[in-house]
Amino acid sequence: MIFKILKRDLLRKKIITIAVFIFIMLSAMLMASGTNMIINLLNSLDYIFEKASAPHFTQSHTGDFNQDIIDEWSTKNNLIKSRQTIEMINISGSNLYINSNLSEKHSIIDNGFVKQSKEFDYLLNLDNNIIKVTKGEIAVPIHYMQNKDLKIGDTIRIQNNNNEISFIITDFVRDVQMNPSIISSKRFVVNTTDFNTLKDNFGDSEYLISFQLKDINTLKEFRNQYSQSNLPQKGPTIDIQILRLMNSLTDGLIAAVIILISILLCVISLLCLRFIILLTLEEDYREIGVMKAIGISPSKIRNIYLSKYFILAITAAFTGYLLSLFVNSLFMDNIMLYIGKTPLSYFELLLPSAASFLIALIVILFSLFVLKRFKKVSAVEAIRMGSSGGIYSNNDKLALYKNKTINSNIFLGLRDVVLRFKTYIILFLVFILCTFIIIVPLNFLNTIQSPEFIKYMGVGKSDIILDLRNTQQMQKQFENIIAYLKNDPDVTKYAPYITGKYEIINQEGTAESLFVTTGNFDIFPIDYVNGKAPSEKNEMALSYLSANELEKNVGDSIVLIANGKKQNLILSGIYQDITNGGKTAKANINPDYDKAVWYNINFNVDSNIPDKVNEYNSTFDNIKVTDIEGYINQTVSNIIEQLQLLTITAILIAIFITILITLLFLKMLTAKDMSQIAVMKSIGIPLRDIKIQYITKALFILNLGIIVGTILSNTLGEGLLSLLLSVLGAKNIQFIINPLQAYILSPIFLILIVTVTTLLSINSIEDYNIEDINVE
Amino acid sequence: MNEILQANNLCKKYTVNNIEKEILKNVNLTINEGEFVSVMGPSGSGKSTLLYNISGMDKMSEGEVVFDGIQLNELSESKQSEIRLNKMGFVFQQNNLLKNLGIIDNIILSAYIAKNSPKEAINKKAEDLMKKTGIFDLAHNDITQVSGGQLQRTAICRALINDPIILFGDEPTGALNSKAASNIMDILHSINEEGTTIMLVTHDIKVASQSERVIFMLDGIIKGEYKLSKFDKNKNNIKKRESELSKWLLEMGF
Ligand SMILES: Nc1ncnc2c1ncn2[C@@H]1O[C@H](COP(=O)(O)OP(=O)(O)OP(=O)(O)O)[C@@H](O)[C@H]1O
Ligand SMILES: [Mg+2]
Repeated sequence: MIFKILKRDLLRKKIITIAVFIFIMLSAMLMASGTNMIINLLNSLDYIFEKASAPHFTQSHTGDFNQDIIDEWSTKNNLIKSRQTIEMINISGSNLYINSNLSEKHSIIDNGFVKQSKEFDYLLNLDNNIIKVTKGEIAVPIHYMQNKDLKIGDTIRIQNNNNEISFIITDFVRDVQMNPSIISSKRFVVNTTDFNTLKDNFGDSEYLISFQLKDINTLKEFRNQYSQSNLPQKGPTIDIQILRLMNSLTDGLIAAVIILISILLCVISLLCLRFIILLTLEEDYREIGVMKAIGISPSKIRNIYLSKYFILAITAAFTGYLLSLFVNSLFMDNIMLYIGKTPLSYFELLLPSAASFLIALIVILFSLFVLKRFKKVSAVEAIRMGSSGGIYSNNDKLALYKNKTINSNIFLGLRDVVLRFKTYIILFLVFILCTFIIIVPLNFLNTIQSPEFIKYMGVGKSDIILDLRNTQQMQKQFENIIAYLKNDPDVTKYAPYITGKYEIINQEGTAESLFVTTGNFDIFPIDYVNGKAPSEKNEMALSYLSANELEKNVGDSIVLIANGKKQNLILSGIYQDITNGGKTAKANINPDYDKAVWYNINFNVDSNIPDKVNEYNSTFDNIKVTDIEGYINQTVSNIIEQLQLLTITAILIAIFITILITLLFLKMLTAKDMSQIAVMKSIGIPLRDIKIQYITKALFILNLGIIVGTILSNTLGEGLLSLLLSVLGAKNIQFIINPLQAYILSPIFLILIVTVTTLLSINSIEDYNIEDINVE
Repeated sequence: MNEILQANNLCKKYTVNNIEKEILKNVNLTINEGEFVSVMGPSGSGKSTLLYNISGMDKMSEGEVVFDGIQLNELSESKQSEIRLNKMGFVFQQNNLLKNLGIIDNIILSAYIAKNSPKEAINKKAEDLMKKTGIFDLAHNDITQVSGGQLQRTAICRALINDPIILFGDEPTGALNSKAASNIMDILHSINEEGTTIMLVTHDIKVASQSERVIFMLDGIIKGEYKLSKFDKNKNNIKKRESELSKWLLEMGF
């Protein structure tokens, strides 16, 4: 009897059992791969940081430079182990031709040319060896190798009006400092002779002043000492902790997404499993009752069923783990390319398999939990009732004869869903989930691409934004541009902003450096989470993250060191900003030109915007002029790109899950309703009518799912995203929804998929006939 | 008399484990308008199969069926089900009501789907039928809340809701006690008197003896037919008809 039950169980629920197997398998596979990826990432990162001898602290600087002050300061500082200054020549994109006749004019990447480092911060090749180049040779960042499909032997040409120089690519650069795709600077390695030629003829120099410390734990202390010194500081700083984070961000995110999908699949397999177990309980109600009646203990009966799910979970998880060994390389490509790979210890090899068996364990425990219901089966009841009785429910309030308006088939479909809602829960949850994973990325993508997103970037909304940085005579050029703007009749209003690195006294009483933008913030206002723009001379605004770090609220006073004097300012407002690590400030004080790191001008025009953008771009060198969308695009292009990929992936996954679960569910449902369908067919109810009933059921559930899913996306999804982005500096993300995409196209798309899948899945009812009435 | 249903050389084969079995072998059958016909025969002789095939519920292997002047076997499946819906009624032994619908919903469903008359008229008609069969009080009950005989009466109401030309019954009294069975038979007679043709499959000689003609099946062929006079309950000749019929059946080898 036991064997017979299990065999019938497997045969009758063949499809859904296979599906559960596949879900557990995929879930285990992704879990193993994700774990593997994280372990490899961390390991390889350690390895490459050691090989490249990564700097602990780097200050970028443009402008006047004197190595002597640094040397003098450093010898007196006992935290420093070694120091090094790398001179980097920034070549303008319009002068750079990478294996092409078209320049990199439109690229947002800052291209720096350097010699190989002497002390540390080595630039490595793909074998993690220190790169050596001779005259005429060049090593190119991996970023270009991947995006431009470069090969050894391709050429790089640098050309301006007067000079031209060509290189042959002999190697590719793995660069711990500038590898990550979110860092928009990249370093090329050239020979000393070529470097000097470049220095004499092209571009401006930027200095990377780097240090390695005796003890990495003193980093914070050292950073404070440096920022309070008189050493060059016109530019951003970066330290080894941020470097590690940046280097692991892309792959870490992918690994996190993979693990997330794995959890998602695990949840779906649990839902399916619950469905199977409850169905089994319904079908075998009588058998279970009989077994109980003849004295088999409930736990023995449960174990009979449990053994099946135990075997299912273990074999599926094991197969998944084996599969992960094959797909690992697929996920690891990016890590291998940018970071390289190192051999792992046995312990590390074991972790992914442990992770996949964790999935099996979850499945088994869950089955155990659901199987508890078997205990409730009463022997007498089961034998008397035959089958479980409560499968079909009826309610006179929803009787067909009372319905005078809706089409009868549609009514019957709706009625069935309402009366047997429990049966449809799995489908309902899956539809909510699918809607959620389509709508959230879609809304976020739309938000980030909309001009409104500028409000999370701490910049006022204007037609055009001009950005000037990394050049030697910045201040003079800035003044030239303003003069030009004043004479431009098309410009309706403009506001210049100067951002410099200032010191601010933190809650511990020590000075900390912060990017402070000065200018008039009333011309192009931004949104404030709290408070308002700094309009008085003694007011300042902080970005959300700075305010958090400094533990300041609106109305608190802040001490800022500007023009050599301490100034007491009042915090007038807090705004959201995801640029520059999220830590910025705005003040209405007189700018300190010595501290200026970059200049911006926002302006509105009453002429064609793209033409104006072009005009300014071609009139001035070394500036970036963009419209507002372009500005956002440049700043967050990486996020947008990855988000597009994520959105497409999410949509594909949602489609896959929708089709699969709809198919499985309807196959199960029609099998369950077989005798009822046969009755309807026998008394002459046309197949078309019966199919309409089932399509109604599926679409009704789908629409409920879409509504709940959309509401959840716009509340929970928005909240989740805000939580995620608060790390970057935006804590109040509000979706900017494209109603056509989110409320019309996506639902229609899902409705189409579900309708077609339903039609295909219920095709088999054509074969049901009168003999199936007596199946029960 | 007009022929309402005619089966010519009807064959039905099943293949089980690669062995082909012929269940109906060249069955020829005519049923006239207004007739009350019974089909008898041992278990497995093909009675139910015959019913399924002449009504289009099942696909015949060979032969033809003409119903109400239409060649059924040449119609598409959906056209066949349209005919079943509008022109045929069915009552089976059991299990033939929809479990998720109440009594009245089970009755009106096929009429609501057929849409031949407005919903109000259909509801009115269902009420009339229920009154006539004595289940009006149960209209809003679940099908689990009524007796077997009441279920069969519900099934009869459902079969009649679209005013069928013919009513097929496959042992409609098979699961009932004799009192409930005779109640069902009374209802069938009154329907028959109103003009509906009836064809019943039955094991019960009492039931069969109340029809005008008894067809005897054996191993997939029609062995013979026995004609009786028109049944009249008041004439009190049931015993006589029964004995006549059983004598004949004995001759046929039943
Ligand atoms: N789907 C099928 N596949 C194979 N054989 C079948 C199938 N359906 C019925 N049969 C066979 O056809 C024969 C006739 O079956 P049918 O149900 O018509 O008999 P019956 O005369 O109605 O019997 P009963 O009086 O027991 O209801 C039986 O031998 C049965 O085994
Ligand atoms: Mg039969």
